[in-house]
Amino acid sequence: MLSRQTLFWLSRVYNLPGSDARFLRAVRDNCAYHIRHCPEYRLICEAEGFSPDCLHTIDDLVKLPLLPTLFFKRHHVSSMPEWRTAMRVTSSGTSGSFSRVGFDWGCIFAEIPMVLRLGFYHKLVSPMPARYVILGYKPGKQDRMGVARTMFGLTHFAPPVGRFYALKWKDGGYLPDLDGAVKTLARWARGALPVRIVAFPSYLWFGMERLEELGLSVRLPKGSKILLAGGWKQHYAQEVDKSTLYALARRVLGVEEENIHEFFGAVEHPIFFNTCKKHHFHLPAYARVIIRDVRTLKPLPMGEVGLVNLITPLINATPVTSVMTDDLGCLTPGEDCGCGLKSPYLTVLGRAGLNDITTCAAGAAELLGKGEML
Amino acid sequence: MIFAGGKILPDTELNPVLGCLEEETAQTLSGPPLETETVLNALDVLAQELDSGALDGLIAQYAPPGAREELARVRPQISRAALEQRLALELGGLAGPRPFGRSEIRPLGVLLHIAPGNMAGLPAFTAVEGLLTGNINLVKLPHGDKGLTLAVFQKLTQLEPRLAPWLYAFDLSSRYSGTIKALAALADGIVTWGGDGAISAMRKLAPPGCKLIEWGHRLSFAYLSGWEDMELLPLAEHIVRTGGLLCSSCQVIFLDTGHLSVAERFCKQFLPVLEKAAASHYKTPGQAAQAALYARETALEQTVDRTGSGDLNFPGQSCSLTLRRDMDLELSHLHGNVLVKRLPRQELIPVLRRQRGRLQTAGLICPDSEREVLAALLARAGVNRITAPRHMSDSLLLEGHDGEYPLRRYVRVVDIENT
Repeated sequence: MLSRQTLFWLSRVYNLPGSDARFLRAVRDNCAYHIRHCPEYRLICEAEGFSPDCLHTIDDLVKLPLLPTLFFKRHHVSSMPEWRTAMRVTSSGTSGSFSRVGFDWGCIFAEIPMVLRLGFYHKLVSPMPARYVILGYKPGKQDRMGVARTMFGLTHFAPPVGRFYALKWKDGGYLPDLDGAVKTLARWARGALPVRIVAFPSYLWFGMERLEELGLSVRLPKGSKILLAGGWKQHYAQEVDKSTLYALARRVLGVEEENIHEFFGAVEHPIFFNTCKKHHFHLPAYARVIIRDVRTLKPLPMGEVGLVNLITPLINATPVTSVMTDDLGCLTPGEDCGCGLKSPYLTVLGRAGLNDITTCAAGAAELLGKGEML
Repeated sequence: MIFAGGKILPDTELNPVLGCLEEETAQTLSGPPLETETVLNALDVLAQELDSGALDGLIAQYAPPGAREELARVRPQISRAALEQRLALELGGLAGPRPFGRSEIRPLGVLLHIAPGNMAGLPAFTAVEGLLTGNINLVKLPHGDKGLTLAVFQKLTQLEPRLAPWLYAFDLSSRYSGTIKALAALADGIVTWGGDGAISAMRKLAPPGCKLIEWGHRLSFAYLSGWEDMELLPLAEHIVRTGGLLCSSCQVIFLDTGHLSVAERFCKQFLPVLEKAAASHYKTPGQAAQAALYARETALEQTVDRTGSGDLNFPGQSCSLTLRRDMDLELSHLHGNVLVKRLPRQELIPVLRRQRGRLQTAGLICPDSEREVLAALLARAGVNRITAPRHMSDSLLLEGHDGEYPLRRYVRVVDIENT
């Protein structure tokens, strides 16, 4: 099983052709592990006539059994007894239901070099201590939300000397405290230490709008950064053009565009996607992406828009090798970006959705044991 | 958010509002009763604004996508003429002279509505039913309400300020059971919309003597007999359009046959029809993608959860049929993925009786000569609505609600003896 570590300890983080062989070997081992240890995964592979031997070249990744994120919401599948896992993490459950994904120790051991190498590559790592304003959840015992974990993780790239959370757990629910965040920002802006804002993009947008409404603008100290994670989620309708967001950040916070970093990932696919200086998500060596036709789910050629299928051999505890997200997006050749990276980049354009009627039968689904709340 | 006294208030006002609620409701009930005509007039003006497009901005801001179309479908039900007809049908004849004197119809008093979140507009609609019967309405809004109900209440009370003391809304999480209990303590009747969980929870919270009016989840199905030459597209369109998500949505297509080969032939005949309906319904890439994901999920669930069950799967593009060997009415995989089962008519009553209290609509497809017999059989089995498949989820003018006339449940009969 060292094939996974061999892949994740790779030093050339964006060299896709150079990592193909390692990637394929790790995926093959990962699938074999899930087939051996996860009865549900084994049944699916049998039904689809798939075995790890089907994977000869990197193009064969399309043959991997495709599991939608919805599957992990309805089935809490596992390839490992709970006592052997390092932790369990859940998705944020925008619509009320959530995936539960177990992380094994081997996965953690592989994630650390990935995050560090990418962190150094994107100049997130700094010895200079920083203060963090987190426009997101404060992690705690009450939940195991993946995005809280990611945001907490992001506060370690520069030694933290203070953290302020805008969403606090109180009386069984999260309460937003945007005004408190705004006040803290204004106070810390007068200090010498850099400030890092870790935020959901939508919260950053609302926060900055609030600042502007109040007629406030601050100049964050030199070296300050904005780290955006978690996507727009339920605020898609209010999604703003990125350049508008950057312009507002410059105007209201004094943070330049090159100091705004975005991250992409999912509980079911915890790969540390970073934006390049042109704000594109290039595929790192630890993941592959296939864009699939929205009707047939067949792979689409580069440039076409479809459902985003994420592949990684990172996790042994849960069979998330090939996950079908409900994101719509496309791949573009790396050369078209202009940042110098050759690896193709992923653009997420929106989310599949027809939840225009939610349900009374969903309550019945709960009743009948599907455990799903729409 | 809270709605009280014709105003939208922040959550921080919850305790002050609750503190005065008992006194305020008592005061309202001591004053002049709410005239039906006042409510009808206000609704009439609101409906005119709706027709003129004056409310389009409000709907676009607060309602989920597709609400405008849904509203257009129910619009005839909230016309003045339809509401007057409903009042006459449901309450007419309940009051009048009696040998001992007379009977009068009076509101229950205070109704607490635990409003549903499955259709935009329903929380407002349940309150309107309460207003029409002269009740004070305390509405606990559903989790997914994006502000539409509050906006409608505000609009309605702006149009008719006399309605303000009769309408309250509370946007509370169900976790605040203390607050809900306090509201229940003030209520003469509790109108609960929701699943078994919500209904059981409210039964526990309701004080003894409080009338429980429960609109629980229901299951619906289609029943096909002699379908070979029948038009099946309307059924397919119904399945795709409602996604199986409504109480009136078809979960299982029952076939009046005992032969598996006949049922298989039906699946092969119906699948292309369902695919056609899906292709024309899922227009945007987002919708198509969601449908493809649900169809994929259905296939996986069949593999993982139903191994060895003998189910026959008929996967289609953006939809699927699953032919099962048992006869039970159960929830389908939803979103255009529907179940098919054999149910010969002689088995119909014993099988459907197992879901008594949960049955709602049967979409009936059969030759005209059989229609009366089959409708009677379905009615005896406990089905409350028998419609053409295309109308399964439509509101039919002057129909009952799950076998009852709702307005009758929101009033009481007062007998007064002549001296």
